[in-house]
Amino acid sequence: MLQNELFNNVMRDFNTGYWELHSDPHKEIWSEKFYKILSYKKEEVEANIDYFLNNLIHKDDLEVFRDNFLNYQRNSIDFKQHIKILNKQGEYQLFRCSTNDELPVNIKSEINFIFFFEIILEPSQTITRDNFYYKETAQMTSTGSWYVDFIKKESFWDFETRRILEYPDDYIPSLKDSASYYAEDCVQQAADLFFNCAMVGTPFNTEIKMVTANKRVFWVRAIGKPVYNENKEIIGVRGVFQDIDDIKRKELRLQRSMDIIASQNSRLFNFAHIVSHNLRSHTSNLSLLVQLIEDISDPSEKIELIQEIGQISTSLNITIEHLNEIVAIHTNKDQEKKLIRFDDTLKIVTSGIGQMMSNSKTTIQKDFSELEEINYIPAYLESILLNLITNAIKYKHEDKDPVINIKTYKIEKKKYLKISDNGRGIDMNLFKDKVFGMYKTFHYNKDAVGIGLFLTKNQIESLNGRISVESEVNKGTTFTIEF
Amino acid sequence: MTKNKVELACIIDDDDMYVNLIKKIIEAKQLCKNLLVFENGKDALYHFEALLKNLNRDNIPEIIFLDINMPIMDGWEFLNKFTQIKNKFGKVITLYIVSSSINPVDIEKAKNINSVKDYIIKPITIEELEAVFLKESA
Repeated sequence: MLQNELFNNVMRDFNTGYWELHSDPHKEIWSEKFYKILSYKKEEVEANIDYFLNNLIHKDDLEVFRDNFLNYQRNSIDFKQHIKILNKQGEYQLFRCSTNDELPVNIKSEINFIFFFEIILEPSQTITRDNFYYKETAQMTSTGSWYVDFIKKESFWDFETRRILEYPDDYIPSLKDSASYYAEDCVQQAADLFFNCAMVGTPFNTEIKMVTANKRVFWVRAIGKPVYNENKEIIGVRGVFQDIDDIKRKELRLQRSMDIIASQNSRLFNFAHIVSHNLRSHTSNLSLLVQLIEDISDPSEKIELIQEIGQISTSLNITIEHLNEIVAIHTNKDQEKKLIRFDDTLKIVTSGIGQMMSNSKTTIQKDFSELEEINYIPAYLESILLNLITNAIKYKHEDKDPVINIKTYKIEKKKYLKISDNGRGIDMNLFKDKVFGMYKTFHYNKDAVGIGLFLTKNQIESLNGRISVESEVNKGTTFTIEF
Repeated sequence: MTKNKVELACIIDDDDMYVNLIKKIIEAKQLCKNLLVFENGKDALYHFEALLKNLNRDNIPEIIFLDINMPIMDGWEFLNKFTQIKNKFGKVITLYIVSSSINPVDIEKAKNINSVKDYIIKPITIEELEAVFLKESA
């Protein structure tokens, strides 16, 4: 017995009988109050589960109680159940059984208890009413029950299971067909859960996608637990399916919005760092310059230094223009998308840089046959192509004329654009994480500004796409955009 | 105050304006005799690697001011490579990071690198710069 005073107080408040379970199945301890409620003396009954199942419990409650009891004893799965128990006078008394989760949260018990609260029925309350309520509850909560009987090799669905799975009333379910009840990507999960429950008695409670007779995929909560016989062997699996499609879809939508918000937030955070860093480099130069001007006494040197302010102001302006471009992406992304042909956009871009292309003897090979058009913000697609093409030309190989390959294609429902060049390449070991960073340049070109790829990435991501890069020094670079 | 105790200092920074201003301060205050300037980590690393092959103590700086955000090879990468060779010079080289990044991640990272003496957030003041050189010549 627990010597815990807190526990004793609770038991006094409960004013009820209880059992204390032990791993040795013949060692249940029944409390004094339990005997007293049923008017038995200790020596008149045997305090173990087998005796209880065979002699005291009403046969209507026997099977469910046995399952609940074994599940609780072996797996510590709490339960609540109404049962009728035979008393000394030969009449049945109704009890509400509950387990450790009935205890107040401040009591943590290592030992499993079952509590028996007596219920005094009003004469008008009858069992048939219960049946009516079960049906009501099942319908109102869209919860159907099912049973797989391993002895008779039969499956049973109640009316509500048939209804939510859209099968006719005379449909006979079968374990053989069970794969067809679940969505393709959930069949394995369902099989594993069922197998575990059937073989080792592990109950399950999970969210899973099922398929109705009309091939509609929907979300259910599937709960199952083993059913035991008198010899405590598993003879079946019983459970419920609850239609939770509405809730689950809302949850998934919420999750998606959360992901979008998180990615926007991280972009904003990034942007704040960029702003802080880029503006700071100019302001700190300004502050250094002012210190120097104050420190120097020679007037002509002072005037010389004052002229430097003009240069700082110019750089500051350029930086702010760059930052404006980035902010514009975040506001522009609500611009209207249009169905645009890749070929048309490419023509616009190449005609704008005709001079640059002919000077560098650039060839562009295009293949838009697999995916000719896309619903996108036209200005973005132009800017993306322009950036990637001019990059390929700017960083061309010293000994080779630039050849740029542009190809669009689809894999499943995703749309891609791949653009590769034969330029001098980027050392990916060194720059893998930095290719798309702001003001990162990897070559000694004087006109490298380091903003193009940063803008490109931001434009693509603001429309929920992705860009990746592969490159090898002296071989060339390939950018892949997933729209 | 005795001037010019530091013979050679080195600045690795891609910001021309900043480098110019530091140069002017060093000249005006006569903080050191000579100054090496590299505009990215890679150029600086080439110089130090070449020094190893042809060890000329006069070309080894006593102080390095290193920026973090630079093209081609940034400050972290330079530090990584430099830490591997810095004991071969037979001379103590004090390295300061001078950056406009106030990102705590950068500051923490710098603190955990042994070869970094201190992390100076730009703008560096003339007094700070003087103090650094004074410490070196003390």
